[in-house]
Amino acid sequence: MAEHEDVLRVEQVAKRFGPVTALRDVNLRLRQGEVLGLLGDNGAGKSTLIKILSGFHKPDDGRILLRGEEVELKSVDHARSLGIDCVYQDLALVNELSVVRNMFLRRERVHKPLPFLANRAMKQETRKALDQIGVNIPRIDVPVARLSGGQRQAIAVARTVNSDADIILLDEPLAAMGAKEGALILDLVARLRAEGRVSIIMIAHNYVHILEACDRVNLIQDGEITFDKPTAETSVEELNEIVVEEYRRARLAAVGGDDTAGR
Amino acid sequence: MSSSSTSSPAPEQAPAGEPQAREAKAARPGARALLLRFLTLREGSIIVVTLLTALYFSAQTERFFTHDNFISLLPYFAPFAILAVGEVMVMVLGEIDLSIGSVFLFAPFMFYQFNEAGLPLVVNLILALACCAVVGLINGFFIEVIGVSSFITTLGMLLGLGGLVLIISDAQPVAMPGAEVTSRTVNVTEIVNGQEITLQEKVNEVGTFAKIFGAGAYSQLIWALVIVVAVQVLLTLTRWGTYTIAVGGNRLGAKEAGINVRLVVIRNFVLCSLLAGLVGILEATRSSTVTPDTAGAAETMFRAVSAAVIGGTLLVGGVGTAVGALFGALFLGILRDGLTLEGVNADYLDFILGIAILAAMVINIYVGRVRRRSGHG
Repeated sequence: MAEHEDVLRVEQVAKRFGPVTALRDVNLRLRQGEVLGLLGDNGAGKSTLIKILSGFHKPDDGRILLRGEEVELKSVDHARSLGIDCVYQDLALVNELSVVRNMFLRRERVHKPLPFLANRAMKQETRKALDQIGVNIPRIDVPVARLSGGQRQAIAVARTVNSDADIILLDEPLAAMGAKEGALILDLVARLRAEGRVSIIMIAHNYVHILEACDRVNLIQDGEITFDKPTAETSVEELNEIVVEEYRRARLAAVGGDDTAGR
Repeated sequence: MSSSSTSSPAPEQAPAGEPQAREAKAARPGARALLLRFLTLREGSIIVVTLLTALYFSAQTERFFTHDNFISLLPYFAPFAILAVGEVMVMVLGEIDLSIGSVFLFAPFMFYQFNEAGLPLVVNLILALACCAVVGLINGFFIEVIGVSSFITTLGMLLGLGGLVLIISDAQPVAMPGAEVTSRTVNVTEIVNGQEITLQEKVNEVGTFAKIFGAGAYSQLIWALVIVVAVQVLLTLTRWGTYTIAVGGNRLGAKEAGINVRLVVIRNFVLCSLLAGLVGILEATRSSTVTPDTAGAAETMFRAVSAAVIGGTLLVGGVGTAVGALFGALFLGILRDGLTLEGVNADYLDFILGIAILAAMVINIYVGRVRRRSGHG
């Protein structure tokens, strides 16, 4: 595979939910081994785009090319079988299930010939995956409801990174994290970036994180990608300027006093 | 007793305990740790309550702790245990199935109908259960595909299917096929005072099919125990159970993780209906009649739901236990049987049952709080 070949390409993708247009016309490229940062205001369509790529939503228009071939992502399972896996913003953890069960949700190891869950194997792998990230979770057989926000987030990230996926989608992986746990995740992304085996799309709100962790940054505004530059060629100031400009426009558009529209 | 096979996180030493709690525990470590460990099982509290109730009735009347009473207790308990376990699988999803009361009536009538068509007993059984599975499928279709709430869907099914049973049966009870009691007279020769005397004795017999499916003294108990163990294993050691808990605990999350939520919900409704149908056939065979008692249908259903809830299964979903449902049903059975033995007036029975159920739930919730406070939620 050539160095700059696109592993994933999104062309003119649109998505509507009833009267609401979430994505208007999205064009996006993800190169092999790169980390692409996705910035955008709340409601700009970031999560919708991620959920289309993970197979959760189906696009109304446009097409998705995976390693040059057009694919129709029929389901989350299907996308996963093609090597795309996702850490959702809400983490998709089940509070009532243990750390181990959550780590292997929908990827359970089972015995043969009777398909009972292979608890021991799953426990060992869970321990290994969590140690690899370096997150401290003393007991992995307790329900995840008992864990802190940062620990839960680490579990969600660990399970995706630990899968066979070669395209990883991270929807705000740092949202619930304290500084220390956030650093663990950024370290993990840096390590994956250095290895170059997987390609990553990462949504974040913090420009500093994006500029540090990513090779390229895309800005999504009002359902379209409006900005696409390598992180080396942009700066916090430039990104800030674009977003402040958008905020001004939104304030002007919201005549009649609905000031919250820009938020 | 405490030999419950449920695996639980062993809380040998609670790391998050307050200093006082730790000191108290240090005073008598063995017994306290053991008690705590037992109570941290979700089933723990109902098992304790059931044992206490049994002890109470044993002290009250000597007729309680006898083999005869054990046999007469079984029909008060075993069928409800099976129904409750099916209900658990639906309640863990955060749904409810009210239609089991009517499925319970429907199954033996379909059995009878197939028998009238001249089919063998085993085929009748399979076809009758298949009809019940279809009922579950229809429930699941309305809930998952159309989007009607499970409460409304299954309430409609409870009434509608009950009505259908009345139509099919002409509201007349019939004899349950295969459960006929055959009497034959045998000559029994005895030697009395050195003389051979031959007396005629009447022996009642039922067929093997009937013995297996409800008429044998322990048939229902064995069915109940096997099904409880099977469902508990299903719930805790298989993908099916894990996905059930996942859908009940976090429906959106389960979907995002790639779980086919629709399939998970529908198959649990089918399972619940199947178990209700099986119980209907067991009960009809035991009593050797099929009675279109639609008024009793709702009561049967409510008892099963009560057993599941008392056993520690939450109505909100995500949490449930088949072993707990078994003990919930046992508790209700012991209560009813014990009160009857004590000669409590039938008019008072439901009144006392109602209060006892509430009391059991209060104890359950209290123990649950202790459990959470000690950090073993």
